[in-house]
Amino acid sequence: MRSARLFKSRWILSRALASSVLPKKTDIFIVGGGPAGLTLAAAIRTSPHLSGLNTTLVDAGDLKKTAQFYKNPPEGYSNRVISLTTQSKKFLEQRVGVQLLQDRLQAFDGLYVSDGCTDAQLELEKNSMGFMIEILNIQSSLLDRLSKLQAPTLNLIDQTKVLNIEYVDPADPQSWLKVSLSNGEVFETRLLVGCDGFNSPVRKFSKIESRGWFYNRFGVVANLKLDFPPFKVRGWQRFLPTGPIAHLPMPDDHATLVWSTTEPLSRLLLSIEPQQLTLLINAAFVLDDVDMQYYYKQLEQGTITTEELQEDIAHRTESKYAKLEDDSLIDEIYPPIVSEVEGSSRARFPLKLSHADSYITDRIALVGDAAHTTHPLAGQGLNLGQGDVESLVKALETASQRGLDLGSVLALEPYWAERYPYNNMLLGVVDKLHKIYSTDFGPIVAARSMGLKVLQRLQPIKNFMIQSVSGKVK
Amino acid sequence: MLRTVTPSPLKNAVRVPQLLTSFGRKNCRERQPMSTSASQDEMKHFGELAPSWWDFWGPQRILHKMNLKRMDFIQKTLQKEYQAGSGTYVPGFNHQAFLPKQVSTAIEQELEQDIRGQLHSQKLQVLDVGCGGGILAECLARLPFVANVKGIDLTPECIEIAQSHASKDPILNGKLSYEVQALEEVEGVYDLVTCLEMLEHVDHPGEILRHAWKKLKVGGILMVSTINRDPVSWFTTIFMAEQVLKLVPRGTHHASKYINSEEIIEWFQDECKGQHQILNCKGVMYVPLNGWIEHDHSGVGNYFMAIKKTA
Repeated sequence: MRSARLFKSRWILSRALASSVLPKKTDIFIVGGGPAGLTLAAAIRTSPHLSGLNTTLVDAGDLKKTAQFYKNPPEGYSNRVISLTTQSKKFLEQRVGVQLLQDRLQAFDGLYVSDGCTDAQLELEKNSMGFMIEILNIQSSLLDRLSKLQAPTLNLIDQTKVLNIEYVDPADPQSWLKVSLSNGEVFETRLLVGCDGFNSPVRKFSKIESRGWFYNRFGVVANLKLDFPPFKVRGWQRFLPTGPIAHLPMPDDHATLVWSTTEPLSRLLLSIEPQQLTLLINAAFVLDDVDMQYYYKQLEQGTITTEELQEDIAHRTESKYAKLEDDSLIDEIYPPIVSEVEGSSRARFPLKLSHADSYITDRIALVGDAAHTTHPLAGQGLNLGQGDVESLVKALETASQRGLDLGSVLALEPYWAERYPYNNMLLGVVDKLHKIYSTDFGPIVAARSMGLKVLQRLQPIKNFMIQSVSGKVK
Repeated sequence: MLRTVTPSPLKNAVRVPQLLTSFGRKNCRERQPMSTSASQDEMKHFGELAPSWWDFWGPQRILHKMNLKRMDFIQKTLQKEYQAGSGTYVPGFNHQAFLPKQVSTAIEQELEQDIRGQLHSQKLQVLDVGCGGGILAECLARLPFVANVKGIDLTPECIEIAQSHASKDPILNGKLSYEVQALEEVEGVYDLVTCLEMLEHVDHPGEILRHAWKKLKVGGILMVSTINRDPVSWFTTIFMAEQVLKLVPRGTHHASKYINSEEIIEWFQDECKGQHQILNCKGVMYVPLNGWIEHDHSGVGNYFMAIKKTA
């Protein structure tokens, strides 16, 4: 009896071992089905040099649910909205062949940036400077593209986690990587690409150090409804001492909010009545910081009713308007009035800067947020990832024409060499912008306002900035 | 100065009578030198380098980097051998200047696709002479239009490293074989024979060229790369690379063994008159922090050359 049981358990054990010792071989294993991972898979599939490669993508989420978004888009907008640069959009549409849901994205023709402490402002104008788009729109369009490509060499695995990564030969860091998944499958891969976000398990395995800091600020996002569709479709951004608030256009009378602010304030913005938040957003683009600080305090203590808030803001806004030379300026320098905040769409996330020391090591490449994260004030986060994908695919194409092992550092080096300096520059600029604007210290406010006023008058530099924001400068 | 003082190594080539036809692998170290063999010093030097051959950050890093340009050169040379088929539109004018960018890119893509299609239908037999640890041979074997690659070298340590490294990549399975063998012992003929970065390490480079030429099918291509025997080469490859920057292990190069590109061209004119065509000849130069770059001055420093056997 006992021996029979022992025998049985042994049999089960040996069966389990037998199924686990048959790893599948793949050329490229992508961890993460976010915009970066899916774009990479689709770009590999559509490349004449790489389409023959065996590619596997694994994601912990439900990609089938994501794919549904393309066929049956919901009525309302998702709160995960980003700005896509012209360059990224071109790459997705022309190179990867993706057809985005055009009626769910909004081109904007400029940015109006103002200082929350002074009246300094900067107006950047360019038709189709960028596009506001839901992340789900990008992801589901990519999934649609992948399904239409019907690639036998592409293996999409969802609702599955990576349990373990190890070198096939632990003594040899140039050997292939063995990836064990939660569904019991084991893969041996030539190249492992981490598109797995800020907490990248692939980066942790690679032992590549990532440096950076938390800004001690949170980004609050929400979907907005406007009084009427704006006559000038542009993004509005005001640098308050607590962080920049941005009001960005979505189709028709929709807009999206990205309000970077301190931790206690972000909690307040999420907890107050949606109507109160509506009032605060409108006020934040017009009133002085002292007024705003007063409202935050009153709301925190619960010593102000919605009606009182509305009255006070209306009164102070009127007196601001009254100081303008001309009433027509109201529409020029202040964003369209928000009539409603969709309460359930509110969310917050911590803001941080991080940059990996390297994006590559033997058999491993890091892409997108796994390699770098940035403050959302320039709307570049997702675009940096798209640029990474474009560059990595280019490096792999060259390497395959040179007959290199695609997982070797020789094949991957051009990717890192091209992207690191550019990303580092952008991360640095955004970081400095955050720092000079997160203070109300007199001399710095004076200097930055003067800088902004000078910039406003220097068209060539403005053109350069416009190009940078639309992602044309490399 | 060096040019006038040192005689061409191609000229001092001595004809050694053909020795026995086959050698056992075990006694290859003790065997008598053949006309195409390397000196004991060279073999010892490369035997010592063998363990670090595949360390991309090790002493052979600069060779790994150079290999990227060698592969580009080989690709380009092979692609030039094909012409667009009748179905592909070839503009007879500078289309980049006159047509919209999208149209000219589409034309270029179509042309490239046509030529790639023709090239990829080939199944080339390749012989890599002086393969060392297999840096070039592996890359050649991975190309879709290469049927198989045979790599030969006289240093057994290098062949061992090459074999063990190739066994780690399943794509090379059955496409790549290595042997400790002298060039004249190799049987059969090939579509592509490569003698890259090896002529400057042998005593009788003329013999190598003669035998490599014999192993080539008519219509096949011989790829040669070595270093011009001039002060610039001495300064870059020995003084800077070996002594100052230490990018290359000391003792790798001997300026007197360098061969000028004109000497190779001359050698082919003398020895293979009417049977050859110089397809391509490019100089290459290492720029610190940037890597190898190709240039048109093939008479200075390192150079690549492609010669086609026409008859």
